Parts: sequence; C-alpha cells; structure tokens
Amino acid sequence: MNPQTLMDGLIAGSMIGLGAVGITLTYSILRFANFAHGDMISWGAYFALAIAGALGAAFSGLLTPIGPFSFGWALPIAALAATVLNGGLALLVDALLFKRLRARNSTVIIMVMASFGAALTLRSLLEFIFTSKPAYYTNALQIALPLGGGIRATPDQMLSLAVSVVIVIAVHLLLSRTAIGRSMRAVSENVQLSGLVGIRVRRVIRIVWVLGAVLAAIAGVFAGVLVQIRPEMGLDLLLPLFAAAILGGIGSVPGAMFGGLIIGVSEALAVGVVGAQWRAAVSFVILIVVLLVRPQGLFGRAE
Amino acid sequence: MTSAIVLATSGLVAGYERDLPIVRGIDFSLHAGELVVILGPNGAGKSTFVKAIAGLVPVHAGTTMLGEIDVTALPADEKIRHGLAFVPQTENVFATLSIKDNLLVAADILPKDLRNRRIAEIYAMFPDLADRTSRRAGQLSGGQRQMLAIARALIVEPSVLILDEPSAGLSPKIVAEVFARLRSINRAGVSIILVEQNVKAALAVADRAVILVEGRLRHEGTAAGLTEDPIIAELYLGARPNRALTP
Repeated sequence: MNPQTLMDGLIAGSMIGLGAVGITLTYSILRFANFAHGDMISWGAYFALAIAGALGAAFSGLLTPIGPFSFGWALPIAALAATVLNGGLALLVDALLFKRLRARNSTVIIMVMASFGAALTLRSLLEFIFTSKPAYYTNALQIALPLGGGIRATPDQMLSLAVSVVIVIAVHLLLSRTAIGRSMRAVSENVQLSGLVGIRVRRVIRIVWVLGAVLAAIAGVFAGVLVQIRPEMGLDLLLPLFAAAILGGIGSVPGAMFGGLIIGVSEALAVGVVGAQWRAAVSFVILIVVLLVRPQGLFGRAE
Repeated sequence: MTSAIVLATSGLVAGYERDLPIVRGIDFSLHAGELVVILGPNGAGKSTFVKAIAGLVPVHAGTTMLGEIDVTALPADEKIRHGLAFVPQTENVFATLSIKDNLLVAADILPKDLRNRRIAEIYAMFPDLADRTSRRAGQLSGGQRQMLAIARALIVEPSVLILDEPSAGLSPKIVAEVFARLRSINRAGVSIILVEQNVKAALAVADRAVILVEGRLRHEGTAAGLTEDPIIAELYLGARPNRALTP
C-alpha cells in the first residue's frame, strides 16, 4: 500500500469516525437510526461559516491565519459557538418531533421515518438560507508538508486527525469514568430499569442529543476545512457514517472511530485500485459484509 | 398491627389499556417493618399491581400513598427518591455493567459524601459481591444477579422494598438464601412487599399475606393463619382436603 494512500485514508477516516461516534451514541441510547445526523453535520458547518463570517467582518484580525493553519481565530471561536447552536438545534428537533413520538410509544420504524423527514427539512432549510453553492471557510492555499516515508499532509489535515483522536478518547472517558456516562450506558441497556434506579432518563436523552450534535458540528467544521461546505455534505457522509458505526459495533465509541478509519482507508485504496467513481460503493460493500458476517461489529457483543 | 402505614393504595385501578384494567380497585396497606407477600393464581394481577405502585404500569383510578406523600402519578425515577424501591422479576441488573457500576449507578442519586459509605455498607452486607466488583453482572449466576438487584435497591436505604418474584428460576437452595436475606433486611427495618409463586417459601418468611384473584383483593390475613386455612391451602398451597370416608 502506498503510504500516502494510507495517510489520505486516515485523514478522511478521522472525519467519518467523528461523525460515527455521534451516530453510535444516538443509535445505542435513543434506539433508532437517526438519518438526520448527517444534516446535523451540515448545520454545524454552516453555523460555523455564518459566525466566522460575522466575526471576520467585525474583527478582520481574526481572519489572519493561525501559525501553519489555513484559518484565523474566527473559525475556532465560531466552531465553539456552532457546537452550542447545534446542540440547541438538536434539542429543538427532539422537542418538536422525536419527543412527541416517544410519548406515543412510537415504533422504531416510525422514528426512523421521522428522522428522514427531519433530514429533508434541515437540508432544505440550509439550501433556502445559504443556497446550494459550495462555500469555504478560507481561500488560503496550504502546502502539504513532508512527514517522512513519502507521506505528506497539510497542517489542517494533521489537526483534524489529532482533534478526532482527542475527542474519541474524551468521549470514551466520559462514558466509562463519569456518572453521566454510567447513566448513558445504563439507559442504552435497559430504559425501564434505569428509571427504577433513579436515572432521569429524559435528561440522559437530552444530553445524548446535545453530545451527538456537538460531535456532528465538529465533524462538519473539519469536513468544511478539509473539503468544502455544501448543504448535501452531511448526506454524502451518511452511508460511511453508518457503515463505520456498524463496523465498529453499535455503542462502542472506539469502535466507531476505528470503523471510520477502516472505511476511510478502504475508500482511499479503492480510488487507487478501481477508480474514484467506486469510492461510495466501498462503504456499502463493507456495511453488507459486516451485517452478514459479524452483525455485532468488531467491538460489539452478540445479543 | 398498630405500627404506622408506610404505603397504602386506595381503589387502585391499573393496566396497560384504560378499557382493560388488570388491577380493579385494590385497597391495600403496608405497615412499618412488615413483610407482606402477595399471592394469587396466574393472571390475578399480582405483578401488575406492584408495577403500578412502582410507576411502571399506568394507573387509571385510585391513589398510592407513600407515608403522607401521594406518589400515584410520579414516575419510577421520582419514587425511588422518595424511598420506594422496586426489583423487577427479569432483567433486574445491567448485564453489561460491572457489579460496582451497577451499584454506583443507583448511588448516583445520593449526596456525594454518602455514596462511598453506602457502597461499603452494601459490600459488608453482601460480601459475595465485594469479592468480584469488576465482574460484569451478565456473568453472574441467577442467584448472584438477584442478590445484586436487591443490593442495588438497598443502596438508597428505601423505606419500602418491592420484589416481583425474586425466586423465579432459582434453585431451592438459592431461594432459601434469598428469602433468608430478605428476612434479615426486613428485620433491619425495611418494609417489604413480595410477589411470589413459591407460596410455601414466601409464607414461611412473611408476616402477612394477601391473595389477589382477577385483579381484586380476595383474602387477607397473617401468613400463619393463611397457611392453616384449608380452603387457601387447597387453592394455593397444593394441599389436599381431608376426604376420608366415614362409616
């Protein structure tokens, strides 16, 4: 394998993994496949675009690139604000839609169909507000730096990889070492018993929505930094996200990131072997193979 | 019984469908320090009755009072905060969590300074659990799981503990251990409601028994009295009436 192909795959995979962590959390705790998660990624990217643009207009110094990176301080500040806004948006969608369906004890298929509706609405709103024209956080060009062994990567790409790893470790520690993480694991296993031991299940569900949306916003910002910002960017990521979450094992945070990296590297390899037009098929093939051979995924437990 | 009533239901009507109540107007009271067993044939509404008290089954009429507090409409996560603990018959532990996390997840509703002390006390009460704190609950035997479920319910020092068929699926030896443990918990001051199919074992540890039939409270009395009642013995304890021929 060409080392550069591996590097490209890892960088793309880190973004997929970040989004897949959000998918795996919402899937295991809210108990349905949320197809609106991809559009939450897009909203996170656009929230950051709008805020960074406003900050840049008000304080032009914030647009000056930070060190080797392509963006100024406006973007990290905007990304932080975007995580908050995206969390609020997720709570709004839950209050308007999913909470009402839960109150009616709706079946999983109704929740999934509702998430399709939410996805379409969110995407259409983005197109209405921002148009479908691609946008960028910065027009600065970056030169890929040699890392040794024939591998090159831009500082933005290395930052994406590093932030993804840090966030996955942080989410893993949150789940395994904290009281709220314990409650989330308990709710993911048995909602009724969770209530009986005193866990406020509705609060846990709200926290999961917010956490998923925060991770989606970060994934969206990095996708925007490394590629471009479009209303369909989240939709295009959706299949790789689900493939990564299922490959890693639903409920496993490290599994989702590992699955994302495998998907990313596989896609990069496929581009080199069978051509870029087959890139999207890779996730689909991996998803089918995992569901047939090991439906619990690499890190999941068989029921 | 002259001690204070710690839990009382009045005209409780409950069931999953409003038009099809399973519990049909039960007046019941549990006194402080009592261990009451709820008996009855299959489909009598025993489990539904205690689940309705615990907040797991919709209540359509009537009230549940926990001491002076009306807890009828409170969800289960609020009832435990008022001292009402419920141990379900099945899936009563978090199988993917360790023993310690099973206890911690229940202790999280306590003030921080109290959590570790309560867990230490629970480990002292259940030394078998203390020996394997990092083991996943799913790896435990049926009896150990039941003990863990009871231990977890006791973490918050409830005033009322309700158990739905704790002997289900356990060997007679383990059942005896579980019931002996329940008796000692009761003697320590926890009032207990026990739903049981294992009538003889339950009556042996209970102070009082109530019998439900078709969602209504049909008989009530001391455990000893019910054991000696020939009709009850025939209907629910499997005893044969004396049918010796007379000349």
